[in-house]
Amino acid sequence: MKRIRKDNVYPFLKEMEETRDVYCPQWLNDKDLLFLPLGDGKFDGYIGKTTVSAKSLLFPQTEEIISFGKEIVKKNTDSRNTLAFGIRPCEMKAIEFTDRFMTREGITDPHYQSKREGMISVVVACNEPPSDTCFCLDAGGKPYLDDGFDMQLFDAGDYYIAVSGSKEGDEMLSSGKFEQSDEEDGKRVEDIKKRSLESQVRKPGMKKAIETLKNGKATNEFWENLASRCINCGGCVYVCPTCTCFNVYDLQSSDGYSRYRSWDACLHAGFTMETSGHNPRPTQGSRLARRHEHKLKFDVINYGESGCMGCGRCSDACPVGLGAIEIIEELNNL
Amino acid sequence: MAGLAATFGSGAMTNSIGEMEDAEVFFVIGSNTTEQHPLIASRMIRAVREKNAKLIVADPRDTKIAKLATIHMSHTIGSDVALLNGLMHIIIKEGWEASEYIKTRTENFEKLKEVLERYTPERVSEITGIDKAVLRSAAEIYAKSKKSMILYAMGITQHVAGTDNVKSCANLAMLTGHVGSPSTGVNPLRGQSNVQGACDMGALPNVYSGYQPVTDQRIKGLFEEAWGVNDLSDKAGLTLTDMMDAGQRGDIKAMYIMGENPAMSDPDSKHARKVLRNLDFLVVQDIFLTETAKLANVVLPASSFAEKMGTYTNTERRVQLSRQAIPVLDGTMPDWQIICKVSSKAGYPMSYDSPVDILDEINRVTPSYRGITFDRLNNSWGLQWPCPDEKHDGTPFLHKDKFARGLGFFDAREYAPPPEVPDEEFPFQLITGRVGFQFHTGTMTRKVSILEREEPKAFLEMNPKDARRLKLINGSKVAIESRRGELYMPVKITNDIPEKVVFSTFHYSDNNINDLTINAVDPVAKIPEFSCAVSIRRV
Repeated sequence: MKRIRKDNVYPFLKEMEETRDVYCPQWLNDKDLLFLPLGDGKFDGYIGKTTVSAKSLLFPQTEEIISFGKEIVKKNTDSRNTLAFGIRPCEMKAIEFTDRFMTREGITDPHYQSKREGMISVVVACNEPPSDTCFCLDAGGKPYLDDGFDMQLFDAGDYYIAVSGSKEGDEMLSSGKFEQSDEEDGKRVEDIKKRSLESQVRKPGMKKAIETLKNGKATNEFWENLASRCINCGGCVYVCPTCTCFNVYDLQSSDGYSRYRSWDACLHAGFTMETSGHNPRPTQGSRLARRHEHKLKFDVINYGESGCMGCGRCSDACPVGLGAIEIIEELNNL
Repeated sequence: MAGLAATFGSGAMTNSIGEMEDAEVFFVIGSNTTEQHPLIASRMIRAVREKNAKLIVADPRDTKIAKLATIHMSHTIGSDVALLNGLMHIIIKEGWEASEYIKTRTENFEKLKEVLERYTPERVSEITGIDKAVLRSAAEIYAKSKKSMILYAMGITQHVAGTDNVKSCANLAMLTGHVGSPSTGVNPLRGQSNVQGACDMGALPNVYSGYQPVTDQRIKGLFEEAWGVNDLSDKAGLTLTDMMDAGQRGDIKAMYIMGENPAMSDPDSKHARKVLRNLDFLVVQDIFLTETAKLANVVLPASSFAEKMGTYTNTERRVQLSRQAIPVLDGTMPDWQIICKVSSKAGYPMSYDSPVDILDEINRVTPSYRGITFDRLNNSWGLQWPCPDEKHDGTPFLHKDKFARGLGFFDAREYAPPPEVPDEEFPFQLITGRVGFQFHTGTMTRKVSILEREEPKAFLEMNPKDARRLKLINGSKVAIESRRGELYMPVKITNDIPEKVVFSTFHYSDNNINDLTINAVDPVAKIPEFSCAVSIRRV
């Protein structure tokens, strides 16, 4: 355990930038906080809840995967060393969750894996929820991590208390920007953890909602009624830290052809449409059900935990008030 | 535009999108809002679902927004004036009108009253097909609330009676005092990202920027001075539809078309294509080789929005800065540079260093844009005109204490049936529109794989009863014939459309519905009708 003064964070990141691409939360404008390269120069020390989750570092919105002309070249599969600074515990959990899917035995996604292997993470625990849509506790998580990070920081006012979770974390801690902690810091961390557990008040009741779904109590009518206000923008999917659906398409450029993949959304009709024109999820209600059953029912059955980490981004983003929080609350009204 | 300008003195959305959150009643007419303005629709949806706002929708189709409505009136196509007059008739009969407001802020009320007298619920019900009790409820809900907003789109403007429809909306709003305060007003939802800005900049035949009339000698003098010339025309030019007719007559020999695809988007587009082909000289400036560009003698490749900086004025009169995101692609040039070069070659040198220079000029010559400077836009989410000076915060809603023209003018309109109604030979009424995943003639959206996946081809929406009569099932191919042409496409059978009405979209060049539509135009605004009578048979 060490500590780093907050005014030393930027110098530390600059130091890391010598060997790695460093990403941290930065304001794109006065509304959108995103993981952007440190080099963009807008890092002001603020670690909030980013609009889009850290998944964008491993699974970008649009990515070239193959180029083909005279020869076929796989793109974006080379390992790249990055540091993701300022990841929140729920996002780190989401990345671990996504790992299971993207790096399954035999069907590994090379574009994801190359970035994942080269990424080290500095998680910042949440003293209190970064926004009022945070409900990680309710979703079975915690505002801090017990493992699964390279380094975890606890906000102690003027400085962060830093805990290493891996060899890479140890190396980072050896930087001169970190100072020795005093004997009180261990107790401070315990205090922060305790308070963080108490400070989260948002509790939509995911457990109960999972049971409702498992018991088949959510009818088609229930979903169609909710979907009647869905405007099919896909925003909930794009900001979700565990949504990984994509579409593949080819584009021509002046030097040949490229194959890209871009985020896609199961809420769009064409996503499940079959070549014949038949759609097994023919209505907006059935697609909305699919999305939430996937996370709250089938992930629980298959992996023993929900695919929703309780970050609340979908509830932040949805223009019609139809994020996970609202869905869970509606399920609990059944 | 013309309709609102005549009644209020200013043709634009009177209120703001943000105000929708506090509205108590929405009256949506001729707008498929969830598909075409989804984020505006989302405000309505939240207000309805979370704050119990009431929603009245008048649309022949049972659109998504109609399904969410407190009252949905599926009125006969082209009966909008009758419907609106009928609502006003009831309001006056019941004494729900805003007497004080009418007295102090409007004129010509007596004439309106006289015309409305003839629009009894019985007669209106017969014309529109809407039950008398439903008319009464809609009138009551709209009139009695403090904050009622009217929203409309091309569903009422793209008719021969388009100006009349808009004027009738304005009459309804003034009659009930629903103009000039937050969360009220008459709100046209513009169909394209910068169509408001194009109009504001004088891309109309009769005005300079900021709607300053070309016929006004003082204004003419100001622009002559600003541009260093002395013989600007003081006559209004031709509208788009007039130009096509003039082209056919041979009175227009050359056209220079920018960012518009009339070969597909004009009604009776076969006729439009013929006119374009017969021109002596056609120049088309666009980012893609559109159907119109294919007919051109010269194509000037322009840069897309992402390759340049500029401003967009959105439907709520908000001017917003758009920054360059990627370098200009090889072989293309931003529109403003092309125009400068062409103009310079033609003998009037234009030298602007950047769009900022152009905005400076806009500020100088346009009173309503005077305070909308680059520096202010650079540091904000935009400003709403009128914004007369650099200290002004912009105007969220218009006509606060008095109308732009002084008193609001009740211009009573009479119902007239549409130019082409179904008959024995052509028994169906065809209406056209868009789907959420495609935009207009598809010039841009049809190049995006996910959008094309969602809505890949044209279809004809039809009521199940009609389908049964014609022995059609979902996906059956039909021939659609109008007096102007014939097309083939599959049917989509749905209860969302009434009997004897069919719907299709105009996104698809391989099945262009505008080959069938009619180019009868509104006598004032010259906006075409588009809806027409067709026959349908199985093939």
